[in-house]
Amino acid sequence: MSVPTLTFQSNDGVEITVARDVAERSVLIKNMLGDLGDTDEAIPIPNVNEAVLRKVIEWCEHHKGDPPNTGDDDDSRRKTTDIDEWDQKFMQVDQEMLFEIILAANYLDIKGLLDVGCKTVANMIKGKSPEEIRKTFNIQNDFTPEEEDQIRRENEWAEDR
Amino acid sequence: MARESSEPAPVPRLPPLQTTVNYSSDFAAAPSLSASFKLDEGYSDETRSQPEKDLVIPTLDEGMTLEEWILTHSETERAELAYKLLRSLRTSTVATVIERLAPLLHMDPVLKLPPEITFEIFSYLDPQTLLTASLASRAWRNRISDSRLWKDLYINEGWRVDIDAVRRFEQEHSGLSSPQLRKSRSRHTDPDSGEPKQKKRVPPSWLDSRATGSLEQGARQGNGQQHVEKEADKEGDHPMGDVSTERGALFSPEQQISPSRRRESLSGSTHSKSSGQGSSTATRRSNSSLLIRMPNGAAKVNWPHLYRQRRKLEENWAKGRFTNFQLPHPSHMEEAHQECVYAIQFTGKWLVSGSRDRTVRVWDLDTKRLWHPPLQGHSKSVLCLQFDPRPSEDIIISGSSDKSVIIWRFSTGEKLHEISCAHDDSVLNLRFDERYIVTCSKDKLIKVWSRRQLSPADKDYPSMFFGSGVTYPSYIVDTAELPSPVLEAELANGHFQSLAPYSLLMTLDGHTAAVNAIQLNEDEIVSASGDRLIKIWNLRNGACKKTVIGHEKGIACVQFDNRRIISGSNDDTVRIFDHASGAEVACLHGHGNLVRTVQAGFGDPPGAEETLRLEALAVDNAFRDAQRNGAYVDLGPRALRRAGYHQNTTGSRDPRDIKALGASIPPGGGGSRWARIVSGSYDESIIIWKKCKEGRWIVGQRLRQADAAASAAYVASDPAARAAIARSNAFAQQNLQAAVAAAQGQQAPAPVPATPATGGGGPLQSLQALTARLAGQATSQPGTAQPQPQPQPPMNGTGANPALHPHQPPQQQQQQQQQQQQAQPLPPQPHPRHQQRMNRVPGPAPTSRIFKLQFDAQKIICSSQDPRIVGWDFVCDDEDLREACQFFTGL
Repeated sequence: MSVPTLTFQSNDGVEITVARDVAERSVLIKNMLGDLGDTDEAIPIPNVNEAVLRKVIEWCEHHKGDPPNTGDDDDSRRKTTDIDEWDQKFMQVDQEMLFEIILAANYLDIKGLLDVGCKTVANMIKGKSPEEIRKTFNIQNDFTPEEEDQIRRENEWAEDR
Repeated sequence: MARESSEPAPVPRLPPLQTTVNYSSDFAAAPSLSASFKLDEGYSDETRSQPEKDLVIPTLDEGMTLEEWILTHSETERAELAYKLLRSLRTSTVATVIERLAPLLHMDPVLKLPPEITFEIFSYLDPQTLLTASLASRAWRNRISDSRLWKDLYINEGWRVDIDAVRRFEQEHSGLSSPQLRKSRSRHTDPDSGEPKQKKRVPPSWLDSRATGSLEQGARQGNGQQHVEKEADKEGDHPMGDVSTERGALFSPEQQISPSRRRESLSGSTHSKSSGQGSSTATRRSNSSLLIRMPNGAAKVNWPHLYRQRRKLEENWAKGRFTNFQLPHPSHMEEAHQECVYAIQFTGKWLVSGSRDRTVRVWDLDTKRLWHPPLQGHSKSVLCLQFDPRPSEDIIISGSSDKSVIIWRFSTGEKLHEISCAHDDSVLNLRFDERYIVTCSKDKLIKVWSRRQLSPADKDYPSMFFGSGVTYPSYIVDTAELPSPVLEAELANGHFQSLAPYSLLMTLDGHTAAVNAIQLNEDEIVSASGDRLIKIWNLRNGACKKTVIGHEKGIACVQFDNRRIISGSNDDTVRIFDHASGAEVACLHGHGNLVRTVQAGFGDPPGAEETLRLEALAVDNAFRDAQRNGAYVDLGPRALRRAGYHQNTTGSRDPRDIKALGASIPPGGGGSRWARIVSGSYDESIIIWKKCKEGRWIVGQRLRQADAAASAAYVASDPAARAAIARSNAFAQQNLQAAVAAAQGQQAPAPVPATPATGGGGPLQSLQALTARLAGQATSQPGTAQPQPQPQPPMNGTGANPALHPHQPPQQQQQQQQQQQQAQPLPPQPHPRHQQRMNRVPGPAPTSRIFKLQFDAQKIICSSQDPRIVGWDFVCDDEDLREACQFFTGL
């Protein structure tokens, strides 16, 4: 008995076949299948190109056994930026790919992947000076030195007690 | 985005390889960054020096630009070509190229990702990091000032907020083109409108007297007119009209632009000059950052601003920056209680006090004035009370050493009902909720009373527990025995009468000494007794669910939330117990005498349950590991003391400091880093306990009632000095004295007689002496021969000092208490921390033993032997902070 599969079509026209339980890590897909029933046709995934789609599917494959997201306790849990080892490796990609993965995870509603992506970016911000943050993300500093000084002074209250 | 590089400007011919150093313009699509850019790991490996190369240069077809030609190849081929090209360069050249390429690999998430996703990203970061990141660019700053983000940060600190007040405020200011105009208009038409500053919406389960009350119109309707007149009078004869302008200028230059008339006076100021302006309606100052105006005209509370103000407030607590105030207002000392004040509670702008002078008094915290004439009805000391000013409740209930309980209407002061012989001895404490009144007494009993008419079919009707320790009056029906049709039939034909309000429902008999304190939380009662025990009872049927041991002497006060029980005892300690297991998780030593009153706020952030449980488990595991490894650990100090180790039980997680296993909360009780315990003692001091970085409880501040009283009186007597004092808490003593002297126009301060030091009392100790004379003047103004702090006459033993010495017969207790009152040397008491008792040496009679305290987000108020009720306001005259405080609730 073969595993039920689905076919996705990336926005650059490539078709990728995925096991159904893997595809259903995406709440969007899961709901869509729930609404429309099974389909043999390729499901177009606009906004997501082949390379990104393959990465996303790779993540879903690895995490297909994860317990389903409860979703309710989002705000109640204390947010940590700990990322497990496999996910850390998985996220060692260039920034463009990283952001594309985050956008795809957001679009496809894959909470776990979105979280990992956001944590990865958060960790890139942590512990850096403003100048280092600018370099990390190629940000143009559009503050005048006076403005920057002013904001620094305003922020002094947050120095840890 | 990186694709930009595949659309370079046209280049006519493939240039000679050597010139590629100048092959510059094509990659300029990406903004070039500073040369100091550092490469990410992984990109710098290919810069090996490869000067001589045998790169194969393909021949180009005629008429084709290099780009066209390149683009005829696949991505892989182009990559290979590019690589080969780069390999042909000198290392330094390769580095230059890579440096120019680098920006392409780094892109701005704020530009690339929509706000909902950057919100997610930023939600993983702490405030400090966010503020740093907000310096990256304007776009970053805008995204980071997201109000939702800071609201979540605020909530996750464990701070609470009066969300109703926030909503009201937002509605009130929404859709109005000119909130300023509207505000001033409303101030004239309705001096009491928009006054949402009461701290309400605290869950009823939340420790002691954080009543859920709000001030409500109903409460003031009766007296509103009278109140206004009173105010007008006062403003008329009050000599210091507009001092706050100077004060503001002294404190903070930015406040000079704030018109003084817009100042509001919540509860902090020590004099009431602003009350006549209806100032408390001005919930937003003209230059305030409290509001964010949305494009559609809607007003939103500025959460980044609120977060920041709350941090400032917590900082003031930590650093001991406050102003003092007192009830009554120093220029109306005729309103004061005649004798010491045993009980207080406040909520919103209201404070209710009960005194040895047999009266209950209702105070307006805005004006510091008496609201009603004193409520008279008890024939002996008023020992305990609780009130709820909400219109639906509108009630004060007080208990007395005359053994009675009286129910008053809060808004009018009228006596509604009296339970004349509630107990066989003094009623030491009482608590009520919407269903029941629970009282406890020196007669060792706890009693539960109905508040409303109650039929056996009501869900609040007690069920019966057939075990020892609880008895029910004969009229209570065992509803469990009757099938509901029978019950209904019996009710229908009138065989079962409904119980009248204030009927006794059950009597709980389990303590072997006076029951000094009780707390009521949902369906549980927690009681603390002179028998050194804390008991937890089922409120529905009176069954004793648990007995908690730990204190070495009688217990004077107790509080609990759903997780911890906090108690203060005659063993001079404050202890924290796990509510679930009864395990002692902390013991705080710091007072030199009986701890009479305590309140705690742990500031549990959302989702704390799981965190606490895991932390507790980790501590247990560490203990067992240590045990297995043969370390000197034991449950209790004795074995350790033999091993030469003194336990630190203030929340240390060292296995040697653990006193009990299986707790559902970690040592110290858990909670946020802002957690706070405030305890008041017969050593005449109040300690603000805070958590150190390691999570142990330490003495944050030590406050003295006498200092506060002196400061409050002094401050009211001289506006300039007031400003000086507010600033001076953190200053050196001589600076303070200089300021005071200057304010008084004196040459130099008189030598200050040394006051008994209690450690950490701060400069105000000397101030107290310095200002004693002035306080005297302030209080002896026309027609007010009011009591100064003076040695109290010996108590008559009717409950003033709860029976805390279970092993002495009552007669002897009284004698001992009288001796204490008269400050005789105490009989020697064996005590493991004898040095703590150093205050108990012959000296002046105590004049300001603390009887009861309460704190909220911004202030502590306490009552004591002194008839004056005093407070510490940690807003410390910061107007931005005062304004923000209308939304803050406790921890």
